[in-house]
Amino acid sequence: MNSFQLALRVLRTDGRTRVSAILIAVGVAVATALVLLLVSLPGATESRADRSAWQQFGEPSSGGASLELAASEDITPDGRQIQRVDVAALADPAQIDLPPGIDRLPAPGEALLSPELADAVDHTPGSQLGERFGANAGVLGDDALAYPEQLVALVGHAPDDMPAAAAPQAGFNPGGQGPDPLLGLLAGVGVVVLTVPSMVLVASAARLIAARRERRLAAFRLAGATPRQVIAMVTAETAIAAAGGALLGWAVSPLLRQAATTVPWGGGTWQASDFVLGAVPTVAIVVVVPLLVVLAAAFGLRRVLSTPLGAAGGHEPKPLHWWRLVPLPVSGALFAFLATTAESQFEATLLLLSMAMVIGSLTLAGPWLTSAIGGMFVRRWRRPSGLLAGRRLRDDPRGAYRATAGVVLAVFTGSMALTVLPSIEGQAGALREYADGVLYVDVDQDSLQRIAADTNEALARYGQDERAVAIGDAFLGNDNAYARVVDCDAAEQLLAVDMRGACEGTPGVYTPYPDVSRDELTVSAEFDQPGTSLPADVPVRPMTAESELAPEVIVDPAVIPSDFTPNAGTVAVPSTPANADVVRTALASAAGGLPVQSRQARLDGQLSQLDDLQRVTVIGLLAASILGGCSAAISTAGSVLDRRRTFGALMAAGTPVRVLARALRAEAALPALVATVGAGVAGTLVGIGLFAVVDDGTEVLTPWLAAPVVLGIGVALIASSVCAPALRRVQAEPLADE
Amino acid sequence: MTTRISGQPPSPAIPARPALSGRGLSKRYGAQHALSGVDIDVTPGEAMAIVGPSGSGKSTLLHVLAGILPADDGEVTLGGRRIDSLGETKRSELRRTEFGFVFQSGMLVGELSAEENAALPTLLAGTGRKEALAEARRWLEHLGLKGKERNRPGELSGGQAQRVAIARALVHRPSVIFADEPTGALDTRTGGETMRALLEAAAGSGAAVVVVTHDRDLAASLPRTVSLRDGRIEADTRAGAVVPA
Repeated sequence: MNSFQLALRVLRTDGRTRVSAILIAVGVAVATALVLLLVSLPGATESRADRSAWQQFGEPSSGGASLELAASEDITPDGRQIQRVDVAALADPAQIDLPPGIDRLPAPGEALLSPELADAVDHTPGSQLGERFGANAGVLGDDALAYPEQLVALVGHAPDDMPAAAAPQAGFNPGGQGPDPLLGLLAGVGVVVLTVPSMVLVASAARLIAARRERRLAAFRLAGATPRQVIAMVTAETAIAAAGGALLGWAVSPLLRQAATTVPWGGGTWQASDFVLGAVPTVAIVVVVPLLVVLAAAFGLRRVLSTPLGAAGGHEPKPLHWWRLVPLPVSGALFAFLATTAESQFEATLLLLSMAMVIGSLTLAGPWLTSAIGGMFVRRWRRPSGLLAGRRLRDDPRGAYRATAGVVLAVFTGSMALTVLPSIEGQAGALREYADGVLYVDVDQDSLQRIAADTNEALARYGQDERAVAIGDAFLGNDNAYARVVDCDAAEQLLAVDMRGACEGTPGVYTPYPDVSRDELTVSAEFDQPGTSLPADVPVRPMTAESELAPEVIVDPAVIPSDFTPNAGTVAVPSTPANADVVRTALASAAGGLPVQSRQARLDGQLSQLDDLQRVTVIGLLAASILGGCSAAISTAGSVLDRRRTFGALMAAGTPVRVLARALRAEAALPALVATVGAGVAGTLVGIGLFAVVDDGTEVLTPWLAAPVVLGIGVALIASSVCAPALRRVQAEPLADE
Repeated sequence: MTTRISGQPPSPAIPARPALSGRGLSKRYGAQHALSGVDIDVTPGEAMAIVGPSGSGKSTLLHVLAGILPADDGEVTLGGRRIDSLGETKRSELRRTEFGFVFQSGMLVGELSAEENAALPTLLAGTGRKEALAEARRWLEHLGLKGKERNRPGELSGGQAQRVAIARALVHRPSVIFADEPTGALDTRTGGETMRALLEAAAGSGAAVVVVTHDRDLAASLPRTVSLRDGRIEADTRAGAVVPA
């Protein structure tokens, strides 16, 4: 009988080995399915980027251009982002290669809209949305969209009616920008954060039969089996379960992919085809994941191989040393120091290393803390359940902690992210150049006055009182201080500055540094170019910049020399919540494809990205916690089965199941709580440290921080839920069994 | 090492004990009859052995009498009160208070010390920590385990572990002690010493002892022996007399 046949016989005859094999298969299946999904994420973002590549500028063509194109962004009245592409055919439209999902090029005055945008246009007054694009002449297909809900407008023009930003191209941009690096990074983190609990689940399943298998293998060794033969037996037993699990994971991965398509990222959900992984990586994952499990199982046999008698006779746990606690404060202090001082790239790398050290320290300190809690119960027990739980934790703190180790990493990472993200969210939009509600378009000097005039004409047509203002760019003095050329009242209204009553006086120069030298009062249109002197008697008045991005100097046009012409500028219009959409429509139509910007739009973009991150963090935490809970539950069941004869005897002697279940619940729940709360606190502290590096602002601690603790309690509840059923199963078995 | 029981058991007063009876007890496992109409009486304070070949129904009879297994037919009474018709909760409570158990390999809780194992029944019954441990220590000392109170089961010999199990079976002063192959895992000498310790301690507390065993010598040392075969009582022998089944 070879090893494979022996393994099959064991699986057929031993119920507990069968249960363990099934659980190992489930753990491997979950790990395989998760890895298959996570590894496909970068490719998924690349698919999106490829589909939407035509929405971006392509390589400018100096000769042989078939079309002229301008790409810009806009938003709907309800704040959703629109991708706008203005296009004009320079050759026969029939000869222009169209991207997938686009049937034809829109004629001048026509627009092809994505289904979601067409729907929004149908349900919104024309002056607020539809008039920005022209006549709706058709629908863009899914293959032309990054994601199904994307709002895209392909607007047709005559060549002489194109926006100033348009550029001639040989054709539509054919290639995407590659994978989203942020999601690629998150996928990498996810592989670690979710695979570790999956593997802990596998290890917990293996523990169900650890004692029985050790005895069996030790018997084989004592009977003369070689180490190679013993390894072959275990490898065959584990390989059957792991290979089955990997195939199961591969089989269910389409369901996981389908579920993943509903998770929004970067503005929308996904197409099912986005997550398709190539044959080579798929086969590699389906082979490597079970292979690692088999190697781990073979590695776990080293004690049986070296001391079969020792394995057969059992062993006493070694006490844990206090030095396990030392690395935690040391790495924590190192992290805190680097977090407050790191400036260079090298120091930032050290900071990440120290963060990894904190994680490693948690793994070392966890069992010690578990043991300490066990000791506390042992000293202060009032009920047998407290004594039993305390002793068990004290005797095998590593085993008790191991079951929840997978959750530690996830909770640590999640808590860190949930600390950093809201803090960054609190800072989002804080850097601003313009006042709230101001819509603006950055333009070149040639278009500055024209766009301002066209906007004002449209605003008047729409019956709005607001007026667009042309603001020129300039550089002041030898220090090249960034200056905006605009009158004082308009600056007060449009820019993120406080003019501090300076507009009462005659026109002048306004700056937070009013003691500026007269020699510095020169303006130039280009950075680091010789400037034109301002009048000698120009008054310099104080003002306050309200943000780091706000201009350092305001120069009233009345004091600018007549021979000075700015090279670029901005057309800015104030708006209120009530008329923002009309103002945007007026400015967008005048700007002809140049992006209309606002603090709110930037804020929405930042918040949307933070929402994405927060969402995937919580999903990851949830998945890791479910896996961790299952691991802890299996470990608990294993610990009951390991002691089935003792528990059976106690119950036969009249010990109520509830008393033993209470002890086991405490035994299962305490390490889970310690692990998750400890990891949560450490993650929060590290998150605060990281935020201190990236920003000087105050941390924003939100209720989301309670999520890891809640999940920890969830893990503890899942872990402890199996106590009573496992005991009842033991109770139902004959005492003489085993 | 020979261990002597030291002095009187911890309880000076021996209360009146109820008699345990089984009438017409039958138990089937599928098509197999483990017990077929067994009648048996256990009088207070007596010590008896139940013997028979493997599969004769010894352990099943012990488990049915102790209320661990329900009988398919027949009734079990303790002091005239039927206990087989009680619910599982009541039967558990009865086992906890009226019965004590000694199993083949002690079945001690590995994480607990000898005194904590011995104190477990009284702790579970709600006795305070100090009082329960003190009582357990008295029994351990009585059974010759002074100085071993803090040892874990893994640090005790097989005989010592069985003495802890005996202390655990006696600490709550049961009416009947059920012992299932109590010396099965011990050598002859240690087994003999352990049985002596069990019988002397039980006699001192007034508890009856029902021992299931394969060991004919052990059975012969007890005042009464019930022989089972194929689920029926083959013989019921009292010292000096054979009572027809």
